[in-house]
Amino acid sequence: MSGCVTVQLSSLNRADTPQLHLLPCEIEHDGSAEVSGFFTPAVKEHKGEKSVSFRGRGLRGQEVSCPHGYTGVVLNELQRPSSDEEDRIVKVSSVFHNFTYWNLETPPTSDDRIMMAMVWPKLADVIHAPVEG
Amino acid sequence: MDLSAFEADNSVSCRLTSPVPDACRTEDCCLGIDEAGRGPVLGPMVYGICFCPVSKKEELKNLNVADSKTLTEAERENLFLKLDKAKSFVGWALQVLSPNTISTNMLQRVKYNLNALSHDAAIGLVQYALDCGVQLKEVFVDTVGPAEKYEEKLSKRFPGVKVTVRPKADSLFPVVSAASICAKVARDHAVKGWTFAEDLGEVDTDYGSGYPNDPKTKSWLLKYLDPVFGYPQFVRFSWSTAQTLLDSKAFAVHWDDDEEDGEKGAARQKNTSMLSYFSHSKPKGHSPTHKTHRFFTERRLQNVDTF
Repeated sequence: MSGCVTVQLSSLNRADTPQLHLLPCEIEHDGSAEVSGFFTPAVKEHKGEKSVSFRGRGLRGQEVSCPHGYTGVVLNELQRPSSDEEDRIVKVSSVFHNFTYWNLETPPTSDDRIMMAMVWPKLADVIHAPVEG
Repeated sequence: MDLSAFEADNSVSCRLTSPVPDACRTEDCCLGIDEAGRGPVLGPMVYGICFCPVSKKEELKNLNVADSKTLTEAERENLFLKLDKAKSFVGWALQVLSPNTISTNMLQRVKYNLNALSHDAAIGLVQYALDCGVQLKEVFVDTVGPAEKYEEKLSKRFPGVKVTVRPKADSLFPVVSAASICAKVARDHAVKGWTFAEDLGEVDTDYGSGYPNDPKTKSWLLKYLDPVFGYPQFVRFSWSTAQTLLDSKAFAVHWDDDEEDGEKGAARQKNTSMLSYFSHSKPKGHSPTHKTHRFFTERRLQNVDTF
């Protein structure tokens, strides 16, 4: 039996609200990055469509909002317990309501996985709503 | 030379042009094509055309234009001013291919190599001259690749124009020398006045020549290497010098179109490697009793009960 995970809600007030970017690649790194130095200033916007490059590859992006009624959070665990039985404490390090979704070379469309996934909460509401009549 | 159109957005490709002399619209003309900055790992590559009436060839020669590589920077600047003054019979146009354009095209899902990129830039410029009403009869091109194939390609593309592709054309034909001067001056200005899109504070502009074998260029590349983002857009990521440094000093980045071989690559892509069939342990999979609906697998949505 594993211990339970506690989210420190008090950390919510101190959470920052950064601009988030979802990149179409895997970076073998878990840590800080010079986003405001290298990435954000290079983003070009033309008629609501964003473009930039990352490691020499062209990206096309779009702003995506979290589903209605939902808030995005980034959780951070300061110290991971040594055994499975212990309780774990995570804090909210960031809160977001929207993020930039980037595609490799092609502009994002509603057929993209992440765009389709955002539809689920709405659909879940509908299928779980009481049946009328 | 006014580069403001390029400097306004130096992440894309930009065309700079001189006015077209009236004489070029009424008389048979010759045109030269050359490039500058093909080899460097830093900055843009510039394609240039220069054109004048065939009857003015001698006058162009008398301006003492020569292959830009044999001239000092000051001499090139000076000759460019002379060409600009001769605007009654000399016209030019440039295609500035930003390093970002070069990187993103060469590293594209469907690769677009430097030769194709160069040929298309050259073809675009010749077409521009034709569209402006320049009465083109002769085209001279400097090349680094095989001349015959390129000559055939251009001749087919521009019927009625006599195309001559030659290695070292920039030292053989004054109109090509003139094109090489325009291109080189633009490249020098673009590199010198480079505005970094990134927010890097005060940037050390001691890049050296920009060629990969220049120690100054190499140390600049090391100084501005970021382990996550790699380099500013001033660097051509598609150059092996840049790639090699990133491979050893930056975090690895994987794209869905990477060509990865072997067990590790397959495991990373969550495919089953051929080799796994020979091992004793069975690949772990989902339990056979519960199958997730396509709706969720297509969206990569899954229930999570722990972090």
